[in-house]
Amino acid sequence: MTSASSFPLRLTKIDDLARPDHFYLTAADDCYFLGEYTARKGFAFSATNRLILNFKKTMDRRGRSEWVWKDRALQQAAAAFRNALNSDYLDVATLVPVPPSKAKTDPLYDDRMTRMLRAIRPQPPLDVREIILQTQSSNPVHGQAVRPRPDEIVARYQIDPSNLLPVPRTIAICDDVLTTGAHYRAAHTVLQQAFPGVRLIGLFIARRVPEAVDFSDFDELP
Amino acid sequence: MRASWSGTLGTIREINGEYGQGGGMTPELTLDGTDFESRAISPLQELGAYEALWDEPKTTFKTLAEKFAARPGAVPSDFVPAEKARERAAFVQEKFRSAEITRFGVRVHGAGDYPEKLRDAAHPIELLYYQGWWDLAASRCVAVVGTRKPSPDGIARTRRLVRELVKDNFTVVSGLAAGVDTAVHETTIACDGRTIAVIGTPLSHAYPRENAELQRRIARDFLLISQVPLRRYEAQDYRMNRLFFPERNVTMSALTEATIIVEAGETSGTLIQARAALQQGRKLLILDSCFRNPSISWPQKFADKGAIRVMDYDDIRQQLSPQTH
Repeated sequence: MTSASSFPLRLTKIDDLARPDHFYLTAADDCYFLGEYTARKGFAFSATNRLILNFKKTMDRRGRSEWVWKDRALQQAAAAFRNALNSDYLDVATLVPVPPSKAKTDPLYDDRMTRMLRAIRPQPPLDVREIILQTQSSNPVHGQAVRPRPDEIVARYQIDPSNLLPVPRTIAICDDVLTTGAHYRAAHTVLQQAFPGVRLIGLFIARRVPEAVDFSDFDELP
Repeated sequence: MRASWSGTLGTIREINGEYGQGGGMTPELTLDGTDFESRAISPLQELGAYEALWDEPKTTFKTLAEKFAARPGAVPSDFVPAEKARERAAFVQEKFRSAEITRFGVRVHGAGDYPEKLRDAAHPIELLYYQGWWDLAASRCVAVVGTRKPSPDGIARTRRLVRELVKDNFTVVSGLAAGVDTAVHETTIACDGRTIAVIGTPLSHAYPRENAELQRRIARDFLLISQVPLRRYEAQDYRMNRLFFPERNVTMSALTEATIIVEAGETSGTLIQARAALQQGRKLLILDSCFRNPSISWPQKFADKGAIRVMDYDDIRQQLSPQTH
């Protein structure tokens, strides 16, 4: 039998079929993802699960032998985007990571998205800009009883005034896993205010898909 | 209407229509899937293109597989004008809506998490429709199939077998046909197991009709899979549509690690799946009782080609994969 799955090398658009899985996304949101992440199924479940779980390894594991898997996942995701994205687009796009859940001063602060985006094409460098700053650490979404709404996330976001120029021509908001879409919507809101009229899309390594066994995740939705 | 975006972004085109023609506002720019990145796909658009590929009366799963084999990396939308694909997708969405199918998905070869194991089929499918919980497709799956007109013994054996498989945490797969298939799904559900139905009709149709409720239940709580193009199915004669049933057996075999045949006549469609299983390198397990039936010769024929004669459930378990996660 051939292997169960491999990590997809082309982007899939969130259209009418997938959108209902992402509570806050609307038909006007232009979002793309590579793989599908199935929560709580562990590493062995799929290539995408393996990549995402390695990519999200927390910073307190640095120095352990497993750390090499985080770097590999980062390189794998970067290679997948390199393959999937048109180089003409990369030449003109500003890639904005959704800020990590921990503030920069937090020892658990993890800039994996920024590093992954830069690794898509090291030379000539891409316009990867941390325009959105998170003002205070928050618990990662899965550790919370209630998921934050986009407006609550916006309240914690700040635009970095030193990073506004040159004005982007087109922006991709980038995150590892698309869940409810709350963080994407929040980032969209603050970037639209900062750069009115500039086109915004969403790029995700994976989207979280519902799974049959455990429904608790959906109970968290408002 | 499409126009080039008069910027430096030569490859990004404006798609008018839904957004672009509002008066006075900056037209919203939509990145065209074929331009924005190398090859982003929209599953909905692929579904429409897949349906359109079936417009051609000579299209079969074989001709489609050949078409795609000749162009590695291609997806249905590579062969169909975008407008046509949109139209067909809207047709399917509308039909499904009226059949009260509000949530469904597709899997497209070459994008997203398409199950690679389906490529082991002789004419692998490029797209499938599903309803329910896709993660079941990645669990340990065993198919249990058989005749539409089983003997009372056959039904009893089916139920015993399914109970054991559920106890061992297998997802039990069948085709939602009358007889053995129905017993498989019902028993799995009754003992709190997981089941997948791979059907020979579109998601919006049920055959036999008596199984419509069971099909809805599987779509809601488990996983329902169909490779049958809706528009073609509705446009053509029911006698032609019968050809979709054996095709789904080929897919069912590819989706599972083993096929177990409980009871089947000499000309049963079940034997299509038996042949496919061997061809695809899947285990084919045939209950001993089939061999003891003097009126049929297929069990020995398949045994000669590599099928395994199983005496009891311990025999079966030894042939199946151990639990890993």
